[in-house]
Amino acid sequence: MNDVRHPLLVKAAFSIGSLLFLFPIIWMALSSFKSPLDVTAYPPTLIFSPTLENFGELFGRTDFLHNTWNSFVVASGSTLLGLLLATPAAFAISWHRMSWPATVSLFARMAPGTLFLLPWFIMFSNIGLSGSFTALILAHAVITMPLALWILLPYFDGMPREVVESGQIDGCGGLSILVRIVIPMIYPGIIVATIMSFVFSWNYFLFALALSGFETKTAIVASFNFIGEGTTNWGALMAAATVIAIPPLVLTFIVQRWLVAGLSFGAVKG
Amino acid sequence: MQDAQPQGQTALSVRWMIVPAVLMTLAMVVFPLAYAIRLSLGGPGGASVSTENFQRLASDPVFWSALRITFGLFGMALVMQLVLGTALALLLNRYDVVRGLVRTAILSPFMLPPVVVGMVAIVVLDPGLGAANWVLQALGLPPFLWLASPQWSLLVIALIDTWQWTPFVALIVLGGLQSLPGRVYEAAEIDGAVGIRRFWHITLPLLGPTLLTAAVLRSVDLLRFFDVIYITTQGGPGNSTTTLNIYAYKLGFDFMDVGYASALMIALATIVFGSVLFFASLRRKVAW
Repeated sequence: MNDVRHPLLVKAAFSIGSLLFLFPIIWMALSSFKSPLDVTAYPPTLIFSPTLENFGELFGRTDFLHNTWNSFVVASGSTLLGLLLATPAAFAISWHRMSWPATVSLFARMAPGTLFLLPWFIMFSNIGLSGSFTALILAHAVITMPLALWILLPYFDGMPREVVESGQIDGCGGLSILVRIVIPMIYPGIIVATIMSFVFSWNYFLFALALSGFETKTAIVASFNFIGEGTTNWGALMAAATVIAIPPLVLTFIVQRWLVAGLSFGAVKG
Repeated sequence: MQDAQPQGQTALSVRWMIVPAVLMTLAMVVFPLAYAIRLSLGGPGGASVSTENFQRLASDPVFWSALRITFGLFGMALVMQLVLGTALALLLNRYDVVRGLVRTAILSPFMLPPVVVGMVAIVVLDPGLGAANWVLQALGLPPFLWLASPQWSLLVIALIDTWQWTPFVALIVLGGLQSLPGRVYEAAEIDGAVGIRRFWHITLPLLGPTLLTAAVLRSVDLLRFFDVIYITTQGGPGNSTTTLNIYAYKLGFDFMDVGYASALMIALATIVFGSVLFFASLRRKVAW
């Protein structure tokens, strides 16, 4: 096909398309800086005098700062737990070429979260952990552990076997080989797994909705409650949405190169 | 990696390193699953085993409506995402633009928390003051009820999900496109296959396995659809967006009907598992 179109024109078309596509996110960010009068103006305004009122209200009058901290605790805790479990498991699976763990974790990944939720709720109540960070971190680790495992496996598989064997000759045991030789070699994989686990845990709604208590309520659950309260203050709502959206968007930005390559690669592998 | 061991060296065994992950899976996945099955089989008045909950499912009109809604949403969203995702991937493949702003636009929607997507939908799609109706009016179209419309709310949910996940499908298809053998295209060109015909008879069949992968990944999420619905409509108006997952959550946590909710979740898990097996059986048909 003859392509007479100017490359600059193509670039401009794709940029405009991208901005239109991102409109809801841009609208969210803009609305969070609008005064109550501007945010419900009809027709909607694009030109307004920005204010920090909504963020002031969000952090000043509600527990949102505390909720955001809770989200951070749960996401960090479950990321750490997920990686602590998944890294040695990935080493064992890759080294011994086990195939059953993939099937098991695939099944766990397919099951609807609500299926586990009722038993967890009863379990955690019975052992006095209901509404605790421990319960939330354990529940979110069910998401992060298989995710980290799937991200890490190709890195372990791609490592030359001789490297591990040379460690063995030096008299290292399995654990010290993993910590001293393998992990330093596959650390890019660990970074990607850490970031993706954090984002997935941060974004996850269902488990925290049912399992978090008043003191452990995450930002996502708290903002859902804002909607339920009826007095829908759009400005504050969009401010909350913006605050919640920032960590995943920033972290995605860091691993975007990997994400694009990883998704394409996963598809090729089938 | 090779299997050969150096001479005089005992084989390194790190099998035990999988134990913590297995214990975690037993405690948090296998045991709860068994417990859910036990709950679903709990009979009335302490009867030990009973299929009453499953019989109730069969005669519950809300269950059947939730089943139709789950599959309706699944079908609409999956078709839109696969068609639009493939179209987008073809564009991205033709014009090598996946960097900078375009890359951000592609990755942002599906890395955003679904709850945030739902919150934005509430504001943008508000029938009274939302920006979406203003755009419609500016184009000379009548305003729309969006999520408040009993007939169209499910389609609107499907459209929201399509906005969020089409770029994900496009990335997977793009990977597939870039791995297609160039020789096939050269041969096709000699045979005079161009444009739509080349796409229909050559590219699309070759993309089969990739599209199947994308379909499996999206199906698993679509059949369990929860977050955006729970945030925006909570299953309404009426029951028009009450999927199986939403219905089960309400039964379990709003009405504390634990046994029945568990039976419903087991039915849903079976549906998800069944559809993945169905797609797996298609894999051989599209292989090349």
